[in-house]
Amino acid sequence: MRMPNSKRYYWRKSKNIVMTVLCLLSVLIAVIPLFLIFSYALSQGIGALNLDFFTKMPKPVGESGGGMANALVGTAILIGLGSLFGLPISIFTGIYLAEYGENPFAKTVRFLTDVLSGIPSIVVGVVAYIMVVLPMKQFSAFAGGVALGILMIPTATRTTEEMIRLVPHSFREAALALGIPRWRVTLRIVLPTALKGITTGILLAIARAAGETAPLLFTALGNRFWSTDIGHPIASLTVFIYDYAKAPFEDWNRQAWAAAFVLIFFIFIINLIFRFVTRGRYAGNGH
Amino acid sequence: MKSLTIALLIFVLSLVAVETTLSQMKLNGAGATFPYVIYSKWFDVYSQKSGVQFNYQSIGSGGGIKQTIEGTVDFGATDGPMSDDQLKQAKEKQGTDVLHIPTVMGAVVVTYNLPSAGKDLRLSPDVLAGIFLGQIRKWNDAKITAINPGKSLPDQSILVAHRSDGSGTTSIFTDYLNKVSKTWALNVGKGTSVNWPAGLGGKGNEGVAGLVKQSDGAIGYVELAYAVKNNIAYALLQNREGVFVEATYESVSAAAAGAIKNMPEDLRVSITNAEGKNSYPISGFTWLLIYKNMKDKSKAQEISKFLTWSMGEGQSYAKDLFYAPLPQGVVKLCEKKIHSIVTQ
Repeated sequence: MRMPNSKRYYWRKSKNIVMTVLCLLSVLIAVIPLFLIFSYALSQGIGALNLDFFTKMPKPVGESGGGMANALVGTAILIGLGSLFGLPISIFTGIYLAEYGENPFAKTVRFLTDVLSGIPSIVVGVVAYIMVVLPMKQFSAFAGGVALGILMIPTATRTTEEMIRLVPHSFREAALALGIPRWRVTLRIVLPTALKGITTGILLAIARAAGETAPLLFTALGNRFWSTDIGHPIASLTVFIYDYAKAPFEDWNRQAWAAAFVLIFFIFIINLIFRFVTRGRYAGNGH
Repeated sequence: MKSLTIALLIFVLSLVAVETTLSQMKLNGAGATFPYVIYSKWFDVYSQKSGVQFNYQSIGSGGGIKQTIEGTVDFGATDGPMSDDQLKQAKEKQGTDVLHIPTVMGAVVVTYNLPSAGKDLRLSPDVLAGIFLGQIRKWNDAKITAINPGKSLPDQSILVAHRSDGSGTTSIFTDYLNKVSKTWALNVGKGTSVNWPAGLGGKGNEGVAGLVKQSDGAIGYVELAYAVKNNIAYALLQNREGVFVEATYESVSAAAAGAIKNMPEDLRVSITNAEGKNSYPISGFTWLLIYKNMKDKSKAQEISKFLTWSMGEGQSYAKDLFYAPLPQGVVKLCEKKIHSIVTQ
């Protein structure tokens, strides 16, 4: 066994330590804002966070109690509708781009998807307003779902594509060599291998949609009453936050913070669930 | 995964099922932010009383007018009346006239942060316009000290705070300055957002209130509720009759009473700089926009019933929520308007 050249060895060792510390610091700095938002929302909203918040209907200013049960259900329905409209399109487009995507048409689609991801969400809201609300002469959860669906498309499409691209080519070749048709290779080999990544993409898309206010203002509108009818205006947490945060009344401000906290927590929980569901699947394979 | 999805689907479907069995009369409205608090109170109380749900969303006055024209709502709301052109558009698109029904009133107050001056600083229209035009720059300017005998005003710069976003509050405030100052009318004008000659912008009432609260020597304008709730001092304003008036529910109602004489038939009126000794000069109505002849007559009946309720019992909720109730004379005019809604 050769002893390392001690001077050189320590130089390398110390470089390693310095870089590791720098990396850790960066991670900390990246995490601090999230932590701050989380703790601030909690500290401001804790007074309004109780069982009533989840089970009761909103009360007007001056009456104590009341919650956002309708907004919680409304947000869930809106995300559900958004996923229903946006995700199938995104996943199929992603598959197409990754598996068959070396032609001018696909390149155009890819470019347009990137453009779409840069469009401000309020513009998407206006589009949904013109396409759905005006012809139906009615604000509705359906219109809100369309807006959120459109917003989900770029994130979900591009992550699906990237994740499918990461599946090693040898997998496909091996399957094709066994005489399996290409559609089946995609469906049975490529997709399951990329599932974890795709789920993360879906998750990002849902998280983006859940936090949107602007596209809902002119589509789902909002509702102070209990409504799950997708043909009618529906409540959502973000629109409630928007309304309540502006008001000069402390109990509404507190509820806005509580809603913000619940929203962040909700996104955090979906994250955990999806991690759990996709845990260990094809671990060690793929990427 | 699959069973989870199915369970979720069943859950959602069952909710929808519950919903349709409990079918109630539901009306949707949208518009002005300023009356959102009292409207949410009214519609909550009224739905418990009558079982009719009026869903009101505060998307802003401009939005309320637009949606009324497009017919995507059953009623609209605004802090500034619709223009003749907008009324014409609504008539063309919806085939019916739109009525303006005043519901409550509000005041815009001039808040300031000047601890040495204490409360009840006096401002005249001239001085106010001068400050917001950037012509009066110091708190100890001769024009300010002349109307504030006995107050020690420091040799300090005035920091002007205004709204950076479009708003009904700005609309009322600039409407007032437009009436009292020729220089203002010529150079700035009125509207929901104007090209401010001086000062810093803050977003929303809370933004301006924050700016004023944090900066020594600042002056700004906010809705009365924000000044009271945030405990910031606001100035006495000199009205048309030369009296310095504090913004209170009474002085705002007085402004409306002073305006009754010249009330146009369609109730679209600005009550800034109104007549009357006790009138607070920067006051304004907020209106509900109602279709005179709705296609759905059962909805028209419910709206008419609700409006009648709002003119009576509804008015009693105003003061607690920092709005001024309508004076009796205006209520009479409104009731006449409400009767003109076609319900058969």
